[in-house]
Amino acid sequence: MRNPDQTSGLFWLLAGTGVALTSLQYGFGTFVSPGAGFITFFAGTLLCLLSLILLISTWRKQKAQSRLGDLWKGLEVWKAIYVLGLLVLYALVLQTLGFLVSTFLLLTLLFRVKAQYALTRVVLLSFLISVWAYLLFDVWLKVQLPKGILERIF
Amino acid sequence: MDIFNHLLFGLGVAFEPVNLLFCFIGVLIGTLVGVLPGLGPVAAISLLLPATFHAPPVASIIMLAGIYYGAMYGGSTTSILVNIPGEAASVVTCFDGYQMARQGRAGPALGIAAFGSFIAGTLGVIGLAFFAPPLASVALKFGPPEYFSLMVLGLTVLTFLAGSSMLKSLMMACAGVIIGNIGLDLVTAQPRFTFGLNILLDGVGLVPLVMGLFGISEVLLNVEEKISERDIFKTELKGLLPTLKDWKESLWPMIRGSVLGFFLGILPGGGAVISSFVSYGVEKKLSKRPEEFGKGAIAGVAGPEAANNSATAGAFIPLLTLGLPSNAVMAILLGALMIYGMPPGPKLIHSHPQLFWGTISSMYIGNLMLLVLNLPLIGLWVRILKIPYPILFPLICLFCLIGAYSLNNNTGEIGLMLFFGVLGYLMKKFKYDGAPLVLAMVLGPLMDQSLRQSLLMSGGSGWIFFSRPICLVIFAAVAVIFLLPLIPLFGRLRKTVSEADES
Repeated sequence: MRNPDQTSGLFWLLAGTGVALTSLQYGFGTFVSPGAGFITFFAGTLLCLLSLILLISTWRKQKAQSRLGDLWKGLEVWKAIYVLGLLVLYALVLQTLGFLVSTFLLLTLLFRVKAQYALTRVVLLSFLISVWAYLLFDVWLKVQLPKGILERIF
Repeated sequence: MDIFNHLLFGLGVAFEPVNLLFCFIGVLIGTLVGVLPGLGPVAAISLLLPATFHAPPVASIIMLAGIYYGAMYGGSTTSILVNIPGEAASVVTCFDGYQMARQGRAGPALGIAAFGSFIAGTLGVIGLAFFAPPLASVALKFGPPEYFSLMVLGLTVLTFLAGSSMLKSLMMACAGVIIGNIGLDLVTAQPRFTFGLNILLDGVGLVPLVMGLFGISEVLLNVEEKISERDIFKTELKGLLPTLKDWKESLWPMIRGSVLGFFLGILPGGGAVISSFVSYGVEKKLSKRPEEFGKGAIAGVAGPEAANNSATAGAFIPLLTLGLPSNAVMAILLGALMIYGMPPGPKLIHSHPQLFWGTISSMYIGNLMLLVLNLPLIGLWVRILKIPYPILFPLICLFCLIGAYSLNNNTGEIGLMLFFGVLGYLMKKFKYDGAPLVLAMVLGPLMDQSLRQSLLMSGGSGWIFFSRPICLVIFAAVAVIFLLPLIPLFGRLRKTVSEADES
C-alpha cells in the first residue's frame, strides 16, 4: 500500500465486508421482523461503501499524499512497542504474581522508558506507588485485586 | 416557582456530605486533568469510571460531571502560561491569554478566565434548570421512530464536527454501531461477533473501550515522541483580581459567551470547542478595537472561556432529558448512568429527581469550589504543570490497568482494553477520530432497538420516519448537515473546529 488512507481504507473495506457477510449468517430477517444481523448488516455495508469512496478518492490524488512509513518517521517506535509488550505481560502474570509484585515490576520498568532516573529512586517510587494503589483500591475501594504469590508466602 | 423548589431540593441533595466530598474530588481532578496537557476529561472520566461503581450513583455522577466542567477551568491555565491548551476547548484562550502572559498580565488573564468560567457556569446551570424540564415533558411524547431519528441526527452532527475528514468520521460511526452490537442479541439471545469468547457475550464494555481509545493510545503515541521540555512562561503571578477596566471590557463578552455557549452546547457534537470559537469570532466582530485580538485582548479570553464553560451545562440537556449524549464525555456518562441502573431520558426527572436536581445543583456548588481552587491555588497548578511525562505516563497506565481489571476481576478486560489501545493508536496515526466511534458504540444497541420497534410499528415500512412530523424535521436537519460543508463559511468553521480538536 502506498499511503496511509489506502491502507486504512482497505482494512475497513475488508472489515465491513466481513461484518456484512457474517450478519447475513446471523439472520437479516424481514423489514417487518428484523433479525439479529439486521442493523450490523447495514452498518457493515455502509462501512464498505464509505471505505470504497475513501479508496477511490485517495487513488486519484495519491501522488500528493504521504507514504505509510512517514507516520513513524523520526519517532522512537520501539518504545511504544516495548510499553505495549510490558502491559500485555502484566495482564498475563497479574493472577500468578499478584497485584503488588507485578505492579512494582511494571512501574520499575515503565519509569525508565522515557528517562534515566537512578535505579534506587525508581525502585522506591515504584514500591510506594504500588502500596498506595493497593491500599486505595483494594483496602478502601474494595476492588478485589489478586494477591498472587504473596498470599502463598504469607 | 416549581423550578426554585426543585433547585432547593437539589441543593439539599448536593449539600449532603458525601455528595459535597465527591463534588470536590471531581472538580479537583477536573482542574488537574485540565492543567495537564495530554490528559483530557474523556480520558480522566474513563479512568475513574470503574472506581465509581463502588460509590453511591448520585455522588458518582456529581463527581464525573465535576471532572468535565473542572477540566474546562483547568484548561485555561496551560493555555495562558504555556501556550498549550490543556484540552481542545481552551485552544482559543491561547490566542490572547498567552499574549497577556508575555506582557506580564498572566494574573489578570488567569483571573478573568476563572471569573468568566464561574459566571458562565452559573448561568449555564440556571439555564439547564429552566430548559431541561419542559424539554423532558415534550420528549415523553417521543416514540421509537423519533428516538431513532434523533440518534441519527446526533451521530451526523458529531461526524460533521469531529476529526479532519467527515468521511472517516462516518466510517468510525459505522464501526461504533457494529462494536456496540457485539454480544447477545436482545430479542433472539443469539451471540453476535463474539468469536467464541465468553468475555464478549455481554458486549464490549464502555470502560475498556474508552480507556483503550483515549488512555492507552495516548500513552503509546506520547512515549514514541522525543521528549521536549515545556516552556513555562516565567512571569510573576500577581494581581489575579482583574481591574475595573478589565471588568468593563470583559463583562459583556462573558454574558454573550455564556448565552452562546449554552445554546451551542445543547447541539450534539463538540459544543464546548465550537462555542469558544464562535464566541471569539463574535467578540472580535463586535469589538471597537478588533486589531488587538490575538495580541492580548482580555475580551478574547473572557468570552471563549465563558462559552466553553456554559456549553458543558448545555451538553447535559440532551443527555438528561432525551438520553442522547452530545459528545464523547456525555456518551461515557450515559453508559455510567445505565450501569448505575438509572437510564437517562424524559422519565429521569421524575424517577430519579435526586440525581437530576442534585447533579444540577452540585454544578453550582462545584463552580464555587472551582473559583476557590483556581485563584488562590494557581501556584500549585503551575507546579503540577512541571510534572515530567516519564513519571506521569506509568501512572496513567496503572489507572487504566486497575480500572479495566476491576470491572469483572478479569484480566480479559485488560486484554480488551489493550486491543482498543492499539486500535486507538492506529486510528490517531491514520487520522480517524475516536469520538464518533464511542458515541455510536453507546447508541448502537439503542438504535438497533428503536429501529426494530419502528419497523414493527409500521409493518415493515421505512416511510414511518418521514410521515411523522418530528422525524421529518429531524431528517431534514440531517440532510442540511450533509449539505453544509458545501457552504464555504460552514466548511471553514468545521475545519477550524477539527484542527482545534486535533491539536
